[in-house]
This record gives sequence, C-alpha cells and structure tokens, in this order.
Amino acid sequence: MRATTFTGLIGQGAKGIWKNRMMSFASFCIMLVSLLLVGLTLLLSINLSRIVDSLESKNEIVVIINDGTTQEEITSLGKSIESLANIEACNFFSRDEAWKSMVENMSGDQKDLFPYDEENPLPDTYRVQIQDLESLNTTSVQISAFPNVEKVKSPNEYAEIFINIRNILTLVSAAIVITLVIVCLIIISNTTRASVFSRRKEINIMRYVGATNSFIRIPFFIEGMLVGVLAGLASLGLTKFVYESIYNLVTSNSVKIFSTIGLTSIYSFGDISKYLTLAYILSGAIIGALGTTISTRKYCKV
Amino acid sequence: MIEFNDVSVTYSSTGVDALNNINLTINDGDFVFVVGESGAGKSTLIKLLQKEIDATAGQVSVNGFNLTKLRRGRVPMLRRTIGVVFQDYRLIPTMTVYENIAFVMKCIDAPKKYIKKRVPYVIGLVGLSHKASSLPEELSGGEQQRVALARALVNDPQLLIADEPTANVDPALKYGIFELLKGINACGTTVIVVTHDLDNVVHFGGRIIRLDAGNVTIDKVVGGDE
Repeated sequence: MRATTFTGLIGQGAKGIWKNRMMSFASFCIMLVSLLLVGLTLLLSINLSRIVDSLESKNEIVVIINDGTTQEEITSLGKSIESLANIEACNFFSRDEAWKSMVENMSGDQKDLFPYDEENPLPDTYRVQIQDLESLNTTSVQISAFPNVEKVKSPNEYAEIFINIRNILTLVSAAIVITLVIVCLIIISNTTRASVFSRRKEINIMRYVGATNSFIRIPFFIEGMLVGVLAGLASLGLTKFVYESIYNLVTSNSVKIFSTIGLTSIYSFGDISKYLTLAYILSGAIIGALGTTISTRKYCKV
Repeated sequence: MIEFNDVSVTYSSTGVDALNNINLTINDGDFVFVVGESGAGKSTLIKLLQKEIDATAGQVSVNGFNLTKLRRGRVPMLRRTIGVVFQDYRLIPTMTVYENIAFVMKCIDAPKKYIKKRVPYVIGLVGLSHKASSLPEELSGGEQQRVALARALVNDPQLLIADEPTANVDPALKYGIFELLKGINACGTTVIVVTHDLDNVVHFGGRIIRLDAGNVTIDKVVGGDE
C-alpha cells in the first residue's frame, strides 16, 4: 500500500470519530472510566506488594533466651535456628549489647531513670531475619519449640493484614480488569458497527471494485485505536490527580500511623509515570483496535 | 473468458434451486444480453461472476480465475477485472461526480497522478465533463447512469456487467446508454447486459442468453435493426 494511501486512510479514521461523535464519545467515556478503575486497582496492588516487600525486608523475629542459659546452649540454639528453611540471617545480641544500645538511645532524663550501676534487666536474644513473610508464623512456632527459648516476638500483624489484602486485591483486580475489558470491547465494537452502518454505501462500492479487506477495515481500526489512545491519555491525567492526592496524604508527616505501618514506602507518581503512560496508551490502543476488529470482521467482509 | 461447467446453485436458506446445471462460455470481447423473468436466475448469475456466492455444484471460471478454488483473500483481485453498473446506480451522495469515480481508483491504490489523468478522461467518455463537480442529486437519472458507467470503466475492467442499465432511465435516453455500452465493447471489453428490455435487445442485436427457472432456454446470436 502506498504511503499516501495509508495516510489518507488514517485521515478517514480520524474523520470517522467526528462523523460518529456521539458513539465515539460514549466509547471514550466508558474506556476512560474503565482504564481509570483498572489503573487505580493495579496501582493499589503494586503498592501493596511494595509495602509487603518493605515489611519483609525489615522483618525481624526477636528470640528471647531463658535466663541462665549457658554459652554452649546459646550457640546450639543459634545453629538450630539457622538450620530452619526460611532463615535469611540470625545474629546474637547479648544482654550487655542490648543494654548499651538502649542507654545510648536514651535522652538525658531517661538516663536518670536507669542508672548505669543498676543490674541489667535485659535478656540475651537472637535477631532473626526471615526470607518469606508468608511463612513467618510457621517459623515463629518452630523457633518457639527449641529448648531455652523463653519467647518469640514477631511483628507480624500488619504483614498478615497486607498479605491478605494483597491476595484478595489480586483476585478482585483480575475480575475488574476482565469485566471492564469485556465492557469496553462491546462498546467499541458497537461504535464501529454504527460507523460501518453510516458508511455502508461506500463499503459496498469498495467491495465491488476490488478493495481489499485491510483497505476497508483500516479507517475503522484507526478510529477505534484513536478513541482508545485518547481515553488512555485522559485516564492517565485523572489517575495522576487521584494518585498524587493519595500519595501526598500518605507521605505527609501529619499522619504518623502511615509511616508506622510502612505505607510511606509506596511509589511516587514520578517513579512509575513512564510505565503508566506506556501502559495506559497501549491498553487504550489495544482495546480500541481489538473492539474494532471484532466488529469489522463481522460487518466488513469482502 | 467466462466458463460455466455444470453449474448449479441452491440457496440453503430457502431451498430454492436458482440455477440448474448451467453450461456457458462467453469469450473475450463478446456482447451478451442475459434476459429472463424475475426469479429466472439472472441475479444469481451475476453474483456468481463476482464470487458473492459460491456454486453448489460445478465450476465457474472468470477472467482466468477459477472461482471454485479462489481463496477469499484473492477475491478483490478478481473484482478488479470486473466493472459493475447497478440498476440503482449506487453513487455516493456526499461525493461529486469526479470524487465518485476517483474513489474507486483510490480503493485499488492507483497512483494519484494516474487518477488525475484517468478520471477526467472517462468523465469525458460518457459526456459529462461539464458536470464533474456536481453532486449525484443534481443530476438526472440518465446522467447518474452515465456516472455509474464511467465509474465501472475507470479501472479498465476486462468484463463489464450492467444490471438493468435502462430500468430507471427516460425512454429517450435508453438508446444512448446502449450506444455507450456498444462503444465500450468495440474497444475489446466483454459486456454482459442483464435486462428485461427486449425491444432494445432486438434493436441492437447480439448474443442472447435466456434464463427460465434457472435453466438456459435460449442461447443464440441475433442480428440487430441497425
């Protein structure tokens, strides 16, 4: 196909949007809302993953050792812990080190409350980092069963909540994506059908004079793709607005709880804007083109 | 060249036998009238020639294409060798005469320069140079028919099919249309005219194929009055 013919067909596709403006606008709106919902759901999902990762990297089980445990027993306990499957690192933290560290972090007033000559009340501990947060409970139980272990402390409450939310969200987002993509395809397909109907005389003549399928279909294909890309760009703008509002709220110092539970580790819009732009434009274009293809294959046969 | 070998068409939706065991040969450069009552199979014959439908049995070959074996993707190539003049003209109302004719050249990706040269030539051929910028609604029935004829000719087809070309034309203009078709045929294009208009058939003469209930009942050459 000649370059001039091809650019002419692209022009026809663009004109088709205007000619068929009511249906095109309907497709645009549906795609905009769908892409926005899909985008925000996916953003939520990837941020939850990041939060869980961040908790995983910080996660530390503190194994408190019984008072009066001998050095050999402590070493043996360390080896037993290291032999477990889910262990990333296991470091001994003696009661003296713990005391020293605590005192160093105290302010002047606090130091007065804990004079240096008092007996050290802290226990010997192992600080254990684990590999997979989802197995945190199992690992805690396994360590608790070892001899000379007084207690195992694992800050797993937030982690469990996030893992549950992430798992549910993965399923929900998959369902949302599939549903909205199907809705978009139906709407785009119907828009194309209306567009084909409005140009049926031309298409009929084209068929009789030997125009190829691709020649007949390209303008509709371009029309669907353009509507998709425009909806993608508008959706990206809205996503930026919504996401930045949430990001500013979460990362502002005024709400301490977010930093406590690790929410401040979410991506900034700048971090992911390149990928998002690409994803929104590509999704818009692909859904638009696919919806059009379904319709033209049915209504524009040579 | 067109060949029908034992061709039958039965419409599966209605069970109607539209053509029964037809055997025909139309040579390059022939001028053929296909006549017959409504429902005789004339439209089915035209649809077969353009591969709009497939024969239920037998073999059809048109301009070197074996339609029985022709893949869907190659159908446009067959249709580029055929020009069709429709009874209802089928001009695009939003396009001028020039644009209507140029449109079909664009559809087959003809070079712009060639389009600019060829379109005025065929408009001149049908005597409508002064109407090139008019919209179809501004033309009479006869003029619209001539535009349709110019459009069918512009891609220089080997075969021209005219479906009831005089059905919607003023009686005084009928002869003019047939004269044009004869002139086109004289340049080497095979012409098939499907018509009810037996007066003109007798007047101009040529090969007549008569269809009755899907069967060829007459296939003979008659001399004209001219």
